[in-house]
Amino acid sequence: MTQTIKSEPFILNIGPQHPSTHGVFRIKATVDGEKVIEAEMVMGYLHRSMEKLAEERTYTQNIPFTDRTDYLSSMSNNLGYCLAVEKLASIEVPARGNAIRVIMSELQRLASHCMAIGAFANDTGAWQTPVMWAFREREKILDIFEVTSGARLTCNYMRIGGVAFDLRPQFEPMVRKVLNDFPPFLQEMEDLLSGNEIFLSRTRGVGVLSPEMATNASLSGPMLRGSGVAWDLRKADPYCGYEQYDFDIPIGYQGDSFDRFIVRLEEMRQSLHIIQQALDGLPSGPHSTQVPLALRPPKGEAYARIESPRGELGYYLVSDEGPAPYRFHIRPPSFINLSALREMTVGGTVADAIVVLGSIDIVVGEIDR
Amino acid sequence: MTRELSGPEVAALAEAAVPGSVAKTTETACYLKPEHLVQTLEALKTSPEADLVHLTNLCGVDFWDHMEVVYHIQSFVQNHIALFKVETWDREKPEVPSVTPVFHGAWMQENETYDLYGIKFPGHPNLYRILLWEGYPGWPLRKDFLSMPGGLQPGLGEFAGVAPRQEPPVKVIE
Repeated sequence: MTQTIKSEPFILNIGPQHPSTHGVFRIKATVDGEKVIEAEMVMGYLHRSMEKLAEERTYTQNIPFTDRTDYLSSMSNNLGYCLAVEKLASIEVPARGNAIRVIMSELQRLASHCMAIGAFANDTGAWQTPVMWAFREREKILDIFEVTSGARLTCNYMRIGGVAFDLRPQFEPMVRKVLNDFPPFLQEMEDLLSGNEIFLSRTRGVGVLSPEMATNASLSGPMLRGSGVAWDLRKADPYCGYEQYDFDIPIGYQGDSFDRFIVRLEEMRQSLHIIQQALDGLPSGPHSTQVPLALRPPKGEAYARIESPRGELGYYLVSDEGPAPYRFHIRPPSFINLSALREMTVGGTVADAIVVLGSIDIVVGEIDR
Repeated sequence: MTRELSGPEVAALAEAAVPGSVAKTTETACYLKPEHLVQTLEALKTSPEADLVHLTNLCGVDFWDHMEVVYHIQSFVQNHIALFKVETWDREKPEVPSVTPVFHGAWMQENETYDLYGIKFPGHPNLYRILLWEGYPGWPLRKDFLSMPGGLQPGLGEFAGVAPRQEPPVKVIE
């Protein structure tokens, strides 16, 4: 006698309080057995209406807000906002200011990718060891930030027209130490994970995105490059003098979670290379131009974007010649990268949904703002 | 460097793709007619000359009397970026056609614009308040929504001579 086992759809909440959602983010997954048949994103638990708040504060007062959007890469967020204001008010930044900005944003990329790779390994089941190794190295970068800006996470270091303070004497030896320590660490991570049978079977072929799909879904950063589109704003639309530095754009070929992981790992090597060049050729001179505290840019609009660790971070500002921006809009990369989440998770298993979410590398502060 | 196409350049591309689609042109932006929006963007996406394949940024702006939806669309191959705008003059029931059929990436950003501005996007497959909850009173990023009672602007208090922006011509939600 044969027996038929029937299954029926069941709603499973992944999050909001769950370590794999990297913050307070919720996927309402409809599962049939182990298979996800529908995934709905629920967000907004961290919404602070930053855009409204920023429209009531002066241009300079808004810089600390940008720290708190993507709290894992505050330097990049400061930079994107300052570039937008500089574009709006046509302010030039001195060469030393630009070089310091490049070093800081690349150090931030290292710190952020450490977190991304460590947490991603955690999501695939490499419990705690890789994330602890990554944190050990990230700590050294946070120490550099503390020495330079006084804060580890919310640095508030960039200013309109340059950076807040010049570098301290101990800055250079600390960065040189990071440059020495990172290549063995990256090799160690690669040896541990990229040849690992379990890691490969958990990530290869999971969350595959074609280049067309990635472009159509407005993805950016490692998500887009993992799918094989060589688009990096540091090359395509250089800011802060990135055109002076020599580096490559790593891309993936299959567009799966593993490719996104390996793109991030390779980007860290390129970042080290950029920091090396910027530090060796650090120009002397002023670190910042004088900008009036109550800045009133001329009427108009500006959209400036940078390649933040998570992708294209844009700031769209509209000025009405007032002391505060008339419109302050953030184009958050991890919010828009989520638009492909449904396509990547539906049809896979629940465990794969966690891996896919880890490979997007979301920061909920940036999604909800 | 990514070339920022000027308004007339974008308008020429749009006119070539769909005649009569441009409402007006400024120095930086090209204003499209809402009824031709989807058709024009679809045509510009497939044309090799424009190649506007990547919808980078979509957001709303409130100008008291009318609202605008702003589209930044870029090309990877040509390495240029174009700025499109669509105006909506109805504050009670603002509507702009959804570009989700052309760009899947508009899904999230149109939801966000609906949530914070109340602009409806007919044609969007699942329009809901993505950050706030259903039933939240008002649309927070509109200029007539006051973040503090009495229209206090906390950060601007210490700057003498900062007059309140404009008398709200519409009913204020507190």
